[in-house]
Amino acid sequence: MPARPKIILSVAAITAMLTALVAFALPAKPEAAPAPQAVATPKKQSDSTADHSKFKELQKNFKTGPEVTEACLICHTEAAKQVQHTKHWTWESKDPKTGQVRGKKNIINNYCTAVLSNEKDCMACHAGYGWKDSSFDFSVQKNVDCLVCHDNTGTYRKLPGDAGHPVYKRREFPPKSGKFVEAVDLKKAAQSIGMPSRTNCGACHFFGGGANGAKHGDMDSSLQHPGKYLDVHMNEKGLNFFCTECHATKSHEVSGSRYNTSAAMTGPAHIRGKADASPAACQSCHGDKPHPQKDALLNQHTDKLACQTCHIPEFARNDIGTEMSWDWSKATIMGPDGKRMVRKDSAGRRAFDSQKGAWVWESHVIPEYRWFNGTSTYKVIGDKIDPTRTVQLSVVGGGPNDPESRIWPTKVHRGKQPYDVENNYLTVQHTGGEDATALWHNYDWQKAIGTGMKAANLPYSGKFAFVETELTWPITHMVAPKEDALSCAQCHNKNGRLKDIQGVYMPARDGKHSSKKEG
Amino acid sequence: MLKVIGGFFLGLIVIGVLAYTYAGSLMFREIESPFGVEETVARIQQNIQNTGNGWALSGLRNPGKAVQNDGGNVLPVMMVEACSTKYSAPILKDDAVRFLSILMPCKVSVYKKNDGKTYIGMMNAGLMGKMFGPMVGEVMGHVAEDQAKFVQFDASKPAPEMIKGMPGAATGAAGGAAAGGC
Repeated sequence: MPARPKIILSVAAITAMLTALVAFALPAKPEAAPAPQAVATPKKQSDSTADHSKFKELQKNFKTGPEVTEACLICHTEAAKQVQHTKHWTWESKDPKTGQVRGKKNIINNYCTAVLSNEKDCMACHAGYGWKDSSFDFSVQKNVDCLVCHDNTGTYRKLPGDAGHPVYKRREFPPKSGKFVEAVDLKKAAQSIGMPSRTNCGACHFFGGGANGAKHGDMDSSLQHPGKYLDVHMNEKGLNFFCTECHATKSHEVSGSRYNTSAAMTGPAHIRGKADASPAACQSCHGDKPHPQKDALLNQHTDKLACQTCHIPEFARNDIGTEMSWDWSKATIMGPDGKRMVRKDSAGRRAFDSQKGAWVWESHVIPEYRWFNGTSTYKVIGDKIDPTRTVQLSVVGGGPNDPESRIWPTKVHRGKQPYDVENNYLTVQHTGGEDATALWHNYDWQKAIGTGMKAANLPYSGKFAFVETELTWPITHMVAPKEDALSCAQCHNKNGRLKDIQGVYMPARDGKHSSKKEG
Repeated sequence: MLKVIGGFFLGLIVIGVLAYTYAGSLMFREIESPFGVEETVARIQQNIQNTGNGWALSGLRNPGKAVQNDGGNVLPVMMVEACSTKYSAPILKDDAVRFLSILMPCKVSVYKKNDGKTYIGMMNAGLMGKMFGPMVGEVMGHVAEDQAKFVQFDASKPAPEMIKGMPGAATGAAGGAAAGGC
């Protein structure tokens, strides 16, 4: 190379290098402040007019959960009846639009797959006591678990295998882990009761799918003590919302659910007491024109976009991450010594277990976008499938011509799970337990499916294979600060976030307009 | 003569424009990783430890943490830092090029972009080294050869655990990464 161009190239290179180094240095701080989630939160002051520790009925040394409920019902005479009408109790719901009966009791997912025959484990997240098989009596009021939602000690624990009862005796959990879970002090728990905290809701909703953050992607234990970056509403140092702030409850019926999502709310913000709409929607506080006049153009987006699309740019925005796939076909593969093998991924999350198969996790996940009108159709036990295609376990309804639809961010969880090759339906398998047919005990698919299908009352041909499945969840938590909302160019771009969304004209994606013009 | 001089200056301008346009991409490399951010980091760390030539890990930084602490979000960025005294010593002993300590420790950046994919960013040590004389050129040439090994992945091997317990780990702060041989 000639000398002069070499010098010029050198100068340009050094300049570029120094610029890059300066750019790298800019966001850094001399001393990083402690992460916001590490800061202890001041508890919300109780505004209750009753101190339950002074109640005569709660001075007993309760031996079981149902005993506590009986004491609660002396004063709260209608509470159990109300709970018994909710999904938290029935694990069943009927879609008002399609008539489909779904709910945890009836659907098949691609996490732990199905509840049937596994009740003793799954009911660790049931708001009740004693549901261990199909003989459970849903009318017994003392079996309603008041404490799981109202204990404010933060010590109330329910573990798999106990059919929804709390820990009555100190025990090692997980088995052979060397970790112990203390017995719950039921008297203390009963006297502590109050409105549900993040701990109460999070005990199940943060750990769905069997691990922290596994299921939803926008809910995990980081929401116990979130910073502003993670959730602008729940930020401990800011608005400090609890779940119940949005999921307002009436007669124990909790508003806002993926089974009945309000996908396209319109009109101004609600006034107090307005009962005809969901309080768990952004619009209920922000209205459908939430941006100031100077950003009026953004308000024109609300008839096509859900607020979440721009304001939750990524989900699982932490090191916990969320599970993106679960491959059951890898279950029963044993280690070289013939024993159960467990492996973690690079970030310390579960990656493989001979009992359950293989998982893939991800943090800061960029959503997949779908038209959604609030109605999802689920695969329920016994539904026929086409095994030559990926089976959609939930189909989000809606489209560009449906006025009830908006473009929503979703998490798509991919899986591989067993199906009956002759009857062409997904199988129910008996996984948990110490009995001779439990998959996690004996590693025998045939026995596990046999028991599961018997519990489901469905014929099993005796032949199974694995099929790919997808489960789609609308994303609605972990709302970022407004400064972190998607910029115009992130969608108004040929390769932008919404490049695959059909049925809507988007300047700069479909036409000549520059994205700069849009904002 | 005028034509020759004119041609010379025109050539200079063209080369200047080319250098200005492409210097950035010549000095730095970006490749797509087949793995997620954490696994890419862990595999690079493992490769660094297996490369020999005195390479040792000296830090793992997350510049995004500082942004989070200020209440904002950025997509994940992790900086794997490594150093080899075999390569750093000759440069640090020579007063004429000691300013190149600014490039130490060697950094490999792993980050996610808006397309959801994971990328690896590195300095083009080979090209950069040639600009600072024969000694630096030779040293950096070796660094470049080793750098290439850092990002050669064997997907058939299970993902190793990410190594966090090093100076600078889990902080967004710059500086303070003076371990690992440098």
